Amino acid sequence: MLPEGGPRARRAASPLLRTARRTVLSPTYLFAIALIGFVFYAASGSPDSFFAYSMVLASIFITLALAWDFSSGLTGYLNFGLPFFFGLGAFGAGYLSWHGDRVVPELLVFGFAVGLFAGFLFSIPTLRLRGPYFSLLSLLLPIIGTDFVVAFWAQLHLPTEGYYSLPFLYTFWTPVVQSLSPLHLPIQYLATTNAGELLLLSIVNGVLLTGFLLLRGSHFGLVLRGIRDDEDALGSQGIWTFPYKVTAFTLSSGVAAYAGAAYATTVTYSGVDTFQFTFILFPVLIVILGGLGRLSGSVLAGYLVIYLYQYLQPVFSTATLIIFSSIAILLVLFVAGGLERPLRAFIQFMRTPEAG
Amino acid sequence: MTLLEVAGVTRSFGGNRAVDDVSFRMEVDTLAIVGPNGAGKTTLLNLIAGWLHPELGAITFRDQDVTHHPPWRIAQLGMVKTYQVVRPFRTLTVQENLALFGKKRGVADLDRILEVTGLRDVRDHLAGALPFGLLKRLELAKGLAAMPDLLLLDEPIGGLSRAEAQGLVASLTALKSSGVRMVIVEHRLSEILPVVDRVVALDRGRLIFHGTREEFFQDPAVRTAYLGSSDAAG
Repeated sequence: MLPEGGPRARRAASPLLRTARRTVLSPTYLFAIALIGFVFYAASGSPDSFFAYSMVLASIFITLALAWDFSSGLTGYLNFGLPFFFGLGAFGAGYLSWHGDRVVPELLVFGFAVGLFAGFLFSIPTLRLRGPYFSLLSLLLPIIGTDFVVAFWAQLHLPTEGYYSLPFLYTFWTPVVQSLSPLHLPIQYLATTNAGELLLLSIVNGVLLTGFLLLRGSHFGLVLRGIRDDEDALGSQGIWTFPYKVTAFTLSSGVAAYAGAAYATTVTYSGVDTFQFTFILFPVLIVILGGLGRLSGSVLAGYLVIYLYQYLQPVFSTATLIIFSSIAILLVLFVAGGLERPLRAFIQFMRTPEAG
Repeated sequence: MTLLEVAGVTRSFGGNRAVDDVSFRMEVDTLAIVGPNGAGKTTLLNLIAGWLHPELGAITFRDQDVTHHPPWRIAQLGMVKTYQVVRPFRTLTVQENLALFGKKRGVADLDRILEVTGLRDVRDHLAGALPFGLLKRLELAKGLAAMPDLLLLDEPIGGLSRAEAQGLVASLTALKSSGVRMVIVEHRLSEILPVVDRVVALDRGRLIFHGTREEFFQDPAVRTAYLGSSDAAG
């Protein structure tokens, strides 16, 4: 055996500080954070507009896309069961609100916790399977979830139309606004409009993006990316991949469930339709557009995709989903690496001086 | 203390006995496992590393039975295998490939490994963009980064040009001098034998020779296996 490395080698092998520095200085990360801030700024100018509401929905789907990209994008284990955890978070928030009359922070935390727990239970048996088999099993999960809820709705003594009259997400800010009222700050609108919802979702997305990027650059993230490249070769390096996969998918499920709880409090309703399988389309489309495993790209792609969907929905009605599914197929065929590379090529082309 | 002991190991695929009742002990720094094509060298290495499990027999590493351990556990115990067909983590840089090891055995000095394997200048390159010769070196470096007590190398110079092979053999010699113990499976005997202390030779799954490299070329069974007849070589 070669002699063990000294303190310098130990620092080099625990690259948290270096990763943190590289992450916060990365142009794509800075752009994503600036974009989140800009969207909030633009929406707070007209806090109850169509644009603001669209950006609220976009932020929820960006959260879902980040969760999907962190687990599936980094490891290559495609998890199509995310809508189940999204629905579970929404359902959990509805249940707690209906039976416990709880405030928004409690609903969000409860949704997250339910997702973590269910994700852990789901991961233990399924992640023993390799990639394609895991994906097939995860595909069944939202179907099982929906069918279970529909079949046992009455037996579970659930309200006929689902849980409705959930507290609005923006009421998250009510205690903050009340406690700061002596300062006469112009922030009352946060506790009554979409801008408040957008602020909360934007902060969480910023934190999630930063956290996921830091994890991506850590030894944990390296293992996840190694799993995507060659899982067996990791075994030869003395790495048992199973706990890494379980941790990533449990965390991802928790975040997806938080997004579901946020969605339920945005529309103030959760029922069977929050388990819709079509909910997977948006995160997948966003991640393809943003670049698989790149995380930061999902922010711009999320705002674009959801705003476009919201804009086209009244025009094309149910055909909108067909359009978006077709776009997803075209993107996979022609821009599989995301928009980053073509954008860079375009910028390079524009910078290149004309010949002659 | 015996570092590695293989006792009566047998493994078949269908009706074919790929490894047939093979036994030997390793108490030296470097051992070569050699034999003609289809002799069972790589199968034996996979059995030792835990990628295959024997039908009969036992494998002991540092007096611990590892016969049915999974590969990652065997690697954590200090016996690390590299691949004949290179398997880099293609979307990671060379440095990241080396940082990707289990930390249970301590932290390797990556600068030293990059130096010994001649990869220092490409440390920030993506592994997927490296030429084959450097990928072979990366395979060796990955093994070293896992801080092995025993490195199992499967055809480390296979597919390399003569000049590339000479460079890699020089790295192996330097590693041996640094105290790295190795089991090397290799076809190219003349290039690899100067590095090793003892040789195990297989033919059609059976052990036909176990001894020093000096004894190797004198052994009648070896001459028959390689040259067709013990009298053929002058």
